[in-house]
Amino acid sequence: MPRPDPRGRAGAPAISFLVLLLLTLLAAVPSEAADTVSVDVGAVYASNEGTSIDPALGTIRGKLHSMFNYTSYRMLDRKRRTLSVGEAGEFELPGRRTMRATPLPAQGDKVRLSIQISDGPRKLLTTTLGLRRGGMVLVGGPSHQAGVLILIISAE
Amino acid sequence: MDCGAAMGKIEAKADGLLPREAEAELAGHLAGCPACAAEDAAISATGPVLRALTGIRAMEKAPALDAMWTRVRAGIEESRAARRRPSWIARWAWIPAAVALAVLALLFYPAGTDRSPFHPSTFDVAVEDVESEVATVALVDKGEDLPRVIWIIEDAKT
Repeated sequence: MPRPDPRGRAGAPAISFLVLLLLTLLAAVPSEAADTVSVDVGAVYASNEGTSIDPALGTIRGKLHSMFNYTSYRMLDRKRRTLSVGEAGEFELPGRRTMRATPLPAQGDKVRLSIQISDGPRKLLTTTLGLRRGGMVLVGGPSHQAGVLILIISAE
Repeated sequence: MDCGAAMGKIEAKADGLLPREAEAELAGHLAGCPACAAEDAAISATGPVLRALTGIRAMEKAPALDAMWTRVRAGIEESRAARRRPSWIARWAWIPAAVALAVLALLFYPAGTDRSPFHPSTFDVAVEDVESEVATVALVDKGEDLPRVIWIIEDAKT
């Protein structure tokens, strides 16, 4: 009769222990439940200095080119925050500007965001957006260096 | 050839070291010297006797040698098996490494920054309200295939 491999017998409890540990850790990590919103903000510098388009912009590159009259688009910064409903998230923007995003109560796969963009004490924009999870909106216009800033705001 | 030189050649012949050309010279001396011939005969007879004796002793010692080799082989096999079998520490050392790797992956997976390119699934956005204290705001909608744009016009600069 073949003898069982002692190494196999030793490995089985080790693998079980590791799987249990991973499951415990996964349970400890806060999951993106329906009452949380992952807000992603990319700050793009649009100008007529050069003709380069940042590959980090992904599929939005062509759309930016067709919507605006700038020749160069460069992503300066990108931040993502997972926020609960009612929780305000602060995003620092280039040029000492800030953006505050607060998820509001919404139904289904809809996301409602209260957005406030400030330039020091000046409130540049206050808006409330309703979008689907995975949706995107652009906020542009604040001047930056020789061009403007375009904010790519998406929520999941 | 004198008898002293003949004795040296006789010993060399018994050891198989005598050159072929010297054998004839030694044979000539032995033919004329009965004392050296007797010495040669005695030495020549000693070799087979010694070989036979060595064979007998080897046969007597064979079982003991076999037993010794068996013990040596067993020792070699045992040391090889010990090398193949990992120690308790080596067997379990991968667990803390794996745990550390899993913890690192979990810590860095939901990172605050994500550099993957933008791939929006929809541009369906409702702007419920929009206002600005210091600028003019325009809402630009160029169709369902393009994202909606809220454009801030600061002091007629943009």
